[in-house]
Amino acid sequence: MIPAFGFNQVRSTPLRLTFLLLTIFAMAALACLAVAFEVTRTSIDAALAAELQQTINEYRGIQDGDDLRERLAEAAAKTDPDIRILFYVPDQGTAVSNVASFPPVSGVTIVADNSIRAKSGSVSDSYLALSARVGAGHLIVAQSREQVEEMGEIFLAVLFIGLLPALVIAGLAGLWVAKGARIKIDAIQHTLLELKSGTLSARLEGVEGRSDDLSGIGQEVNRMARAQEALVASIRQVSSDIAHDLKTPIQRVAVVLEQVMNKTTLTEGQEVLLSRAIGETERIVQTFQSLLQLAQIEGGAVRDRLHPVNLVEVSRDVVDFLEVEAEERGFALSLRVQPNVVACIKGDRHLLSQLIGNLVQNALTHVPKGGPVVVEVTGRGNETVLTVSDHGPGIPEKERGKVLQRLYRLDQSRTTEGNGLGLSLVSAISDLHGARLTLEDNMPGLRVRIIFPAVDPA
Amino acid sequence: MKILVLEDDQAIGSYIADGLREEGHSVDLIANGADGLVQATVGSYDVMVIDRMLPGLDGMSIVKTLRATKNLTPVLFLTSLGGVDDRIEGLLAGGDDYLVKPFSFGELSARIVAISRRPRTEAEPTILKAADLEMDLLHRRVTRAGQALDLLPREFALLEHLLRRKGRVQTRTMLMEAVWDIHYDPLTNVVDTHISRLRGKIDKPYETELIETVRGSGYRINDT
Repeated sequence: MIPAFGFNQVRSTPLRLTFLLLTIFAMAALACLAVAFEVTRTSIDAALAAELQQTINEYRGIQDGDDLRERLAEAAAKTDPDIRILFYVPDQGTAVSNVASFPPVSGVTIVADNSIRAKSGSVSDSYLALSARVGAGHLIVAQSREQVEEMGEIFLAVLFIGLLPALVIAGLAGLWVAKGARIKIDAIQHTLLELKSGTLSARLEGVEGRSDDLSGIGQEVNRMARAQEALVASIRQVSSDIAHDLKTPIQRVAVVLEQVMNKTTLTEGQEVLLSRAIGETERIVQTFQSLLQLAQIEGGAVRDRLHPVNLVEVSRDVVDFLEVEAEERGFALSLRVQPNVVACIKGDRHLLSQLIGNLVQNALTHVPKGGPVVVEVTGRGNETVLTVSDHGPGIPEKERGKVLQRLYRLDQSRTTEGNGLGLSLVSAISDLHGARLTLEDNMPGLRVRIIFPAVDPA
Repeated sequence: MKILVLEDDQAIGSYIADGLREEGHSVDLIANGADGLVQATVGSYDVMVIDRMLPGLDGMSIVKTLRATKNLTPVLFLTSLGGVDDRIEGLLAGGDDYLVKPFSFGELSARIVAISRRPRTEAEPTILKAADLEMDLLHRRVTRAGQALDLLPREFALLEHLLRRKGRVQTRTMLMEAVWDIHYDPLTNVVDTHISRLRGKIDKPYETELIETVRGSGYRINDT
């Protein structure tokens, strides 16, 4: 089977190597053939030339002119011009020959048939001719190069019957091997892309225990991915371990602060300071809560708990809840619902309201000048799409991947409130629901689009 | 009320117990799960506050065992930070409410009161009253001192929730969960904004304020 040539396939390394090898092989075979042909031809021509010389010498040995003419005439009559031509031009008198005319030659010369005129019968395609002075005239003896011609045909036959099929077979085998290599390279590329996009569980299959070089690379990729996954897992483990270990002390601090607040008489200044301390503890608690929640969501433990949820109802609750806050801060928060949208998705109601709430609050926090913030629920095929868009500064394209990482904050947002976990939580919750999250340019502003998969009817 | 507190952290345990005693409740504090189950079975309590993680026997198993033996005493679970599915699990095991540590004492106290009165089976009233404020649930109308008030649907729901729990403190979290079904901490004082809007309509034009701010806890609607 000949694989289809796509542009990419032609550019692919294995295919290029195949073509290169085939070309080299063909050139080498042709060169060998040419050299062999040339050597054989030269030796045949040399043998012919020796024969010509010997014939001429024989005639030279005859001293008497008449005897020579007689012998030549007898020989010319007997000799088939297709094999050998005798052409004797005496200084005086008529020529003795088995052909009508023959071009003048000097030394050993190859003469083609088009310059020879035959008397009767046919002449050969080419001759090796030698002329010499014999008696009182010039004798040309020409021997047919039929052998050389035949040998050329044999070489051509070898080329067409032997080499071309071999090239075709080698080419097909090469394409097949190249295709196999291409599939492996594609698989490696695909796995690397997946790893790059954060799917650390991506692995190459069918490479373990094989010894070819591509499988070797595949094994290395797998080894690297395993190490990376283990590293990320251990970082996560450490951060959630730290959070766990600090939980109880933080709880105690919160308890003590509240006791001080409620049970002791404080001056106004002390109360302000204490309120600030309590506020800070709440922030710490919230950050820890978010970190631990992230770990739990990413651990996937909540996945079994997803039930049919109406995304429009959840959005309405959240918009309703945050609307007054938005209004106080100079925003117009609104909910748009596409008519007849299928808004039922498989999800966790509380986490979904947190997702929408985080996105809306993110807009309220990071858009300095207020303006519209729109939560929208639309359908696309049988998928349900949630978008939250604002008219703020947006997120530069190269930063969009990073803002979803935990604790990452844009430089410009360092001074605003928030712990850098809001969008990580959004991303984790979206992943948990099998949804696709994209950050887009709202021109102006940021548009976060989350596409929830269709609920299977089962 | 007679309250059983099962909490292994000594500081938090005594904080809860002392606070509740100050409010006039009778409190038994036990730090071990197995002992706690025995005490819960033999003593008759109005409410139990149970930490989910306890040495000896964990809180979930205690409540499952109690429910299996038809002990229906209301239970408030205390859970550690970070539990996304703790709430559901706790409620499935037979808990009536849950609270994530660290919590303010006001939150705990308000929730204990809320669950202790939960099993009421009075006929549903169609008119709720507080002082001169009247809410007609059938016609969805609110009047104060005879004057009709124009409330948005969510303001109506918020007022209805407070009126139904007249005299009892409702924390911000409780209001958020009950009125908007929001179960995460939005880190802002959105509830206060909602309350202040509601106050603008039902309290501001009148002499007495019906919605009272309870310091460190939340809000309460009063009869006078």
